[in-house]
Amino acid sequence: MSPANVKVTHGATRAGRARHLLLALRSVLVSVAGIVAVVLIWSLVGRLLAHPSLLPSPVAVLGALRVLLAGEIGADILASIVHLAAGYSIGVVIGLLLAVLCARFENLDVFIEPVIEVLRPISAIAWIPIALLMFGVSESVPIFLIAYAATFPIFVNTLDGVRRLDRLLLNAARSLGASGNFIVTHVVIPGALPYVLTGARLSLGVAWMAMVAGELVGGDAGLGWRIMWYQEFFAMDKVMAIILVIGVLGFVADAALRGLQRRLLGWNPVES
Amino acid sequence: MSRRRSKILVVSALAVLLLAWEGAVVLTGAQASWPFPSGIIRSGFAITADGTLLVALAGSLQRVITGFLVGALVGIPTGIAMGLLPWVNLAMRPVTESLRSIAPIAWIPLAILWLGVQGNAALFVVAYAAVFPFILNAAQAARAVDRNHLRAARALGAGPGLILRAVVVPSTLPTIFTAARIALAIAWSSIIAAELALGVKIESGGRSVAGLGQLMVATLYVKRDVNALVFGMLVIGLVSFLIDAVLRRLRDTLLPWARR
Repeated sequence: MSPANVKVTHGATRAGRARHLLLALRSVLVSVAGIVAVVLIWSLVGRLLAHPSLLPSPVAVLGALRVLLAGEIGADILASIVHLAAGYSIGVVIGLLLAVLCARFENLDVFIEPVIEVLRPISAIAWIPIALLMFGVSESVPIFLIAYAATFPIFVNTLDGVRRLDRLLLNAARSLGASGNFIVTHVVIPGALPYVLTGARLSLGVAWMAMVAGELVGGDAGLGWRIMWYQEFFAMDKVMAIILVIGVLGFVADAALRGLQRRLLGWNPVES
Repeated sequence: MSRRRSKILVVSALAVLLLAWEGAVVLTGAQASWPFPSGIIRSGFAITADGTLLVALAGSLQRVITGFLVGALVGIPTGIAMGLLPWVNLAMRPVTESLRSIAPIAWIPLAILWLGVQGNAALFVVAYAAVFPFILNAAQAARAVDRNHLRAARALGAGPGLILRAVVVPSTLPTIFTAARIALAIAWSSIIAAELALGVKIESGGRSVAGLGQLMVATLYVKRDVNALVFGMLVIGLVSFLIDAVLRRLRDTLLPWARR
């Protein structure tokens, strides 16, 4: 703000507020224009491609979405959420547990970390054939893949968070006579929480991708499976509608965890 | 515990684990349905010796690199424009954020429709997966360019081309390199996913095997060789490990000022 603006009277602040509002309005308009442009290009390309089933128009996809929302998609969303909830909680519990064990017992750490380091580069995707062999085409495939994918980010971040704890704080608590439990609840957990939550968010991201891939290739229910189902019927408008739903749900899930992060960590904003 | 001793301990523990695994499978006579170490090595040797593995690996890697480059070519300029020009950021952010939330693999049916089963559909999925790390990181890096450097360059009469070349590129390069590492890792796991999804389709049509993912599908449904499957998995892991190691080494030699 320029120095001239500092000596403002009451009326001038109102003008300033109006200008602020105008700027905000303009930025909203530009954002909307971006989306409108994409939709326009999308329908133009669809028209040029000659055949509407190659790239269904935005209107067709919205229509398909309405049909889906009115009917069967609820069951698919539910199935996907069940897969995600089951797999994600298994993965997060295993990841947290292993990280806590590694941090607490150095002897175990020597064994756990090499195993994790060997498994980590093998993405969940690479397990799909084995998972198919072990479980057959069933809900176990996506759940297994989600759990596997979710384990690593939270493990790595939690361990990192515990290791980065401020030694000074630990020593201070210890020398002031705090008990082991007290140190855990008042120093270790608050100190590691930002990293744990970052890990939880990263885990959710990879879990989401694993869910779609697992359902698409080896599931018998869920959004990913439904994509393949509609592909068999060559219903591309419905395929795109489901892609849209996957995008929106993925965005909402990430936003929810980001909100949780902000809420729990008002005192310690972590770079996301 | 000393480093050396703990290393010996780990190696021997892993050796014991492998032996126990081998013993358990062989003693229970479950060699047909369970993978075991010596079987994995034998199957691995077989598919390496007859060349199928190398051909598939080459096919996958070629598509990964092409998709990765497409992602970089689209993502880096977009990201830098978003980071430098506020109105581009406003217009593009909602679009990129909403597209980013879509799992790349979900595009497979449409990609097959547009580009065919031959492998270009997989290429599309890879490029789609790789573009977002580039956009996000390039935008963040461009936003972090020191405004005073930009102003100084402008005041000294530098044109937009020179500013890009002499100010923006050197300062964003380290972050873009990080983006490349993330993008390549995601690209590699997407190609496998895409090929697996395609493979299920291709295999039913009796078409030839094209990539590592398709090779694994064929192994699963045609040969039913568990050991080869595990070997393929290990190869996938090894490749992503090598990709990361090579890129990290490359960063340290190319961008010594970015070393951490």
